[in-house]
Amino acid sequence: MTNFFARPFGHERLITKEDIGKNKRSNKNKADNMGQTLKRIWQFMRGERKRLYFIISLVVVTSLLSIVGPFLVGRIVDYYFIPREFDGLFRVLMILLASYVLLSATTFIQAYLMVGLSQRTIYNLRHHLFEHMQELPVTFYDKRQHGELMSRMTNDIETLSQTMNSSFIQFTTSIVTLLGTFSVMLYLSPLLTFLTALIIPILIVSVRFITNRTGPLYKMRQRRTGELNGYIEEIVSGQEIVKVFSQEERAVRNFEMRAKNLREVTFWANLYSGFIPKIMNMLNNISFTIVAGAGGILALTTNGIVTVGTIVVFAEYARQFTRPLADLSNQLNQVLSAIAGAERVFQILDTPAEADEGKITDKTLRGHIEFKDVTFSYSREQQVPTIRNLSFEVASGESVALIGATGAGKTTVMQLLARFYEADSGSILIDGEDIKDYSRTNIRSQTAFVLQDPYLFEATIRENIRYGRMNATDDEVIEAAKVANAHDFIMTLEQGYDTVLDLDEGFISQGQKQLISIARALITDPAILLLDEATSSIDTITELKIQESLERLMKGRTSIIIAHRLNTIKAVDRIFVLEQGELLEAGTEEELLALEGKYYDMVNQ
Amino acid sequence: MITVYRYAMKYKWMIVIALFFMFIELIVELIQPLFIQQVIDNGIMINSIDNVIFYLLIMFAVSLIALFAGIFNTYFTSHLTNMFGYDLRLAIFKRVQNFTLATLSRFSTSSLITRMTQDVLQTEMLLFMSLRILLRAPLLVIGSLVMSFLVNPTLGLYLSMLTPILVIFLFFTARKGAQVFLRVQHWLDRINRFIQQNLEAVRLIKANDTGEYETGKFAKVAAKLRNDTIFALRLMESILPVLLLIMNGSLLLVLWVASDLLKTNEVAVGEIVAVINYALRMQGGFSMFAFLIIATSRAKASSDRISEILHAPVAVEDKNTYEPADSEGTVKFDKVSFKYPHTSRYVLKNVSFEIHDNENFVIMGGTGSGKSSLISLIPNMYDPTDGVVTVNGKNVLDWNTADLRQTIGYVPQRAVLFTGSIYDNLLWGNLHAEEDDVFMSSEKAQIHDNIMNFDETYETTVGQMGVTLSGGQKQRLSIARALVRKPSILILDDSTSALDVRTENNLWDALAGENVTRIVITQKISTAEQADRVLLLDDGEISALGSHEELLRTSALYREIYESQKKGGHLDD
Repeated sequence: MTNFFARPFGHERLITKEDIGKNKRSNKNKADNMGQTLKRIWQFMRGERKRLYFIISLVVVTSLLSIVGPFLVGRIVDYYFIPREFDGLFRVLMILLASYVLLSATTFIQAYLMVGLSQRTIYNLRHHLFEHMQELPVTFYDKRQHGELMSRMTNDIETLSQTMNSSFIQFTTSIVTLLGTFSVMLYLSPLLTFLTALIIPILIVSVRFITNRTGPLYKMRQRRTGELNGYIEEIVSGQEIVKVFSQEERAVRNFEMRAKNLREVTFWANLYSGFIPKIMNMLNNISFTIVAGAGGILALTTNGIVTVGTIVVFAEYARQFTRPLADLSNQLNQVLSAIAGAERVFQILDTPAEADEGKITDKTLRGHIEFKDVTFSYSREQQVPTIRNLSFEVASGESVALIGATGAGKTTVMQLLARFYEADSGSILIDGEDIKDYSRTNIRSQTAFVLQDPYLFEATIRENIRYGRMNATDDEVIEAAKVANAHDFIMTLEQGYDTVLDLDEGFISQGQKQLISIARALITDPAILLLDEATSSIDTITELKIQESLERLMKGRTSIIIAHRLNTIKAVDRIFVLEQGELLEAGTEEELLALEGKYYDMVNQ
Repeated sequence: MITVYRYAMKYKWMIVIALFFMFIELIVELIQPLFIQQVIDNGIMINSIDNVIFYLLIMFAVSLIALFAGIFNTYFTSHLTNMFGYDLRLAIFKRVQNFTLATLSRFSTSSLITRMTQDVLQTEMLLFMSLRILLRAPLLVIGSLVMSFLVNPTLGLYLSMLTPILVIFLFFTARKGAQVFLRVQHWLDRINRFIQQNLEAVRLIKANDTGEYETGKFAKVAAKLRNDTIFALRLMESILPVLLLIMNGSLLLVLWVASDLLKTNEVAVGEIVAVINYALRMQGGFSMFAFLIIATSRAKASSDRISEILHAPVAVEDKNTYEPADSEGTVKFDKVSFKYPHTSRYVLKNVSFEIHDNENFVIMGGTGSGKSSLISLIPNMYDPTDGVVTVNGKNVLDWNTADLRQTIGYVPQRAVLFTGSIYDNLLWGNLHAEEDDVFMSSEKAQIHDNIMNFDETYETTVGQMGVTLSGGQKQRLSIARALVRKPSILILDDSTSALDVRTENNLWDALAGENVTRIVITQKISTAEQADRVLLLDDGEISALGSHEELLRTSALYREIYESQKKGGHLDD
């Protein structure tokens, strides 16, 4: 038997006695955190507070009405049924009816308003979270699984949503009902009230026992849900790889492990929180017993201080007295789980946004670029920096090609320029000003960046091209597509420009994706153009055709391109050869050939 | 719902035990008013303190029995609910793993996630609640009714008069609720999907400075979710007020009739008190119903979504294991046409050709000419729409899929890596690979030295999609992963585009010594020059097939490609 309680159904204990002890010791700290979290949720309700106060006052009315009902019923028994006196009974029944109707009405209205209020608040929180996610630096995303972040946006916020809906009303109802019943009980019989209140210490001890355990368990549960989410997202997104390597079993096994982790923590969380109603039930029964028994004895021994009517009313009140207590402790648990979710949401909100202290907000860029002794590493543990003491200058309107072995740091240079990352030391200047002094918008709105891995949204082709410049007309979209050589293949699709790109369907090839993303860049009118292997998956005939458009596009703009093909490289003004994050050679093609260095080797291999 | 809750049948004995304990609790609850009636009628009314104390002790004892029953019920329900949820999740995940890519494309990743987490949770919640209160609620209602009939038939009749209305109301609300919650879940999917896309496009969004635009779009989806949630919850919240009104109305009726009966002495006061008590308990029972209905509505919506997956077609049951001849690697396309599921445009039209064992076979063609689609048919990622694809002399449809793919090393165009160490990622190729084989494969793929230069070498953690690696490093890792498999057919889908010339040449040299059929998609003439034969695709049809020299002579398109690269030249040439 003891074995069963130690490891019920083989579920190992997840929190030990020490954990709980530690938990108790850090209780003050925890309470502070909890208070902080609650306070922040409260802040999201700005603008709703007046409505909330109104709801709370409605709840008070509702709770009072639900006390009036049983009180009147008791009165009817005492004053009309026992003495068999039926004059005026009709009137009391009508009052009772009125109170019942009113009770239903207020119950409905308060719930109606509360649903709206809580969902609007949740919406605000979601919106705010998403907005903040837009401002987080790329480094934040590099380290995290997509599914795990998605879980915060859905699972964690949903937990909060479900709690918010009920908790405010429940809390107020419980407190008002508690105070109300307590007063009436005191009025009816202080002695019986005292006896009924005996259950409160038992209650407090058991609730503490439970919440000490559920609190940490809920946190663990939300975390493990996130982990499971992350795994599902990765595996399903990479399903092609799983299949082609027949690793379905491995995927299932890994999934099993994470699902088991979640199962274990949910078991314990459910178990402990499931005890609450059971304990409440018992306390309920006990108070009922106390009232019936003690009331009976009192009725017999004290001659009329306690009447049968009082016992009836008391029996009902004892129930109404324990119910709010039960609800309060249940709510406490609910709130704990919501807080576990909310904390994870706030963790993201607390991650500082991309630095954007730039004072320069609406400068028209000419596109002069200068790297001054720039050093950069992706992680602190890296022994050799990805970019080392890199210095170069690109004149306004000049075009430059970055070449070098894979891992030489070409893409990194572009990412630094787009301010996806901040240099560890040295500075990057645009038009003579440090890029840190610009607002991000100022730079990014005048830069077009065609990324190595073309990404298209699940939207129509038209919308995808227009993404480069939101106010582009349909004609401009088609024009850009024509220049990018995407028009012809788009027209072979049944819905042409209105074809919705489904990310999971394979009918748009990687090369076609690149064509669309080039069109997307063409439609912007940038001062600085960054092309990172923009044509790597495009066949060379098509590439030649685009070449001309690209050259036209580069004219008059500062352009930095990464490419392998000579014809692309030859079209630029100067070539930079990078090796292991350092600038090895720089100059026009003739200069580099004359140098007979690295570039010469590469070309004449 | 049946599909989903069939998974709970495994635990039917536990369910019975849980219900048994619940039943004990319920009995206690039902007999309590009887005792209070006894206290009044047999104790106070006849002035017997002994009787009062006697009943008091009994009531106390049964309370404790109820507590223990309740605790055991909690143990069993917590356990079996979680096992059920776990089994269901696993079943869904396994099913998805068995989906063909065609089936998979019908569900978005994000919706699969919501189904495996949120939706399973909803069905779990219903089971959990059911085992604690499902039977309890109707039994409490029915029990209270029966007891009140026993106490006084007339009062019982009036008490039950309005309940049919309530039952009908609850039934319709539940039905409507399931519909609206389906919509809510749908919007949750959309939210999930929207975020997923944003996470993948994070650099694009930043580069285009469209964060605000995205937030605006997100706000619209989130607002739809909000509005539907509000509607659904308000519908559910209307249950309690209606229920209160009807139950309180019944109570009023009872009081009214009781006063009449009292006049004619057909009822004792204790009886009235007991019936009132039962009425209140009934009301409690119905409130539980309200909770259950909310849970049922949600679970109905969720289980429909889960069933959709559990009923979606999976890959055909695999045929008998087929032992492939060692290192054999031939491929044959016979009049193959192909269009992607749910589309109407043919991307391959009547394609026939053969690839010999150990051949170095290159596929070229314009952007969107069907190269990637063509090779995806070899490991049977999709079934051909028409015609037959044969690997090692056997129709791919007749192969045991796992065996077929076991012989193939596939390197996709877009290098997909998973969160985990580099070593783990390489093991995707072959879980049982020896360490030496892993190292050897990365050496051939020209990535070993790079890995050894990382601070944690093979234990270096790769982020999702390998974000922190350079494009060329990702490509070489995924080539190494395919080599770990020791395949007899190696398929490279333009997987060297980000490699510099030296690295790429080294790679080809390393592969040349291997006993493996190579199928390589490329844009580079330089790669084609080294091939045994080149297949040139044009708009889904074979435009030319032969050696580099032959094609130069016979194919205008090939010459055009050649010229396009000779004219400009290629840095890698």
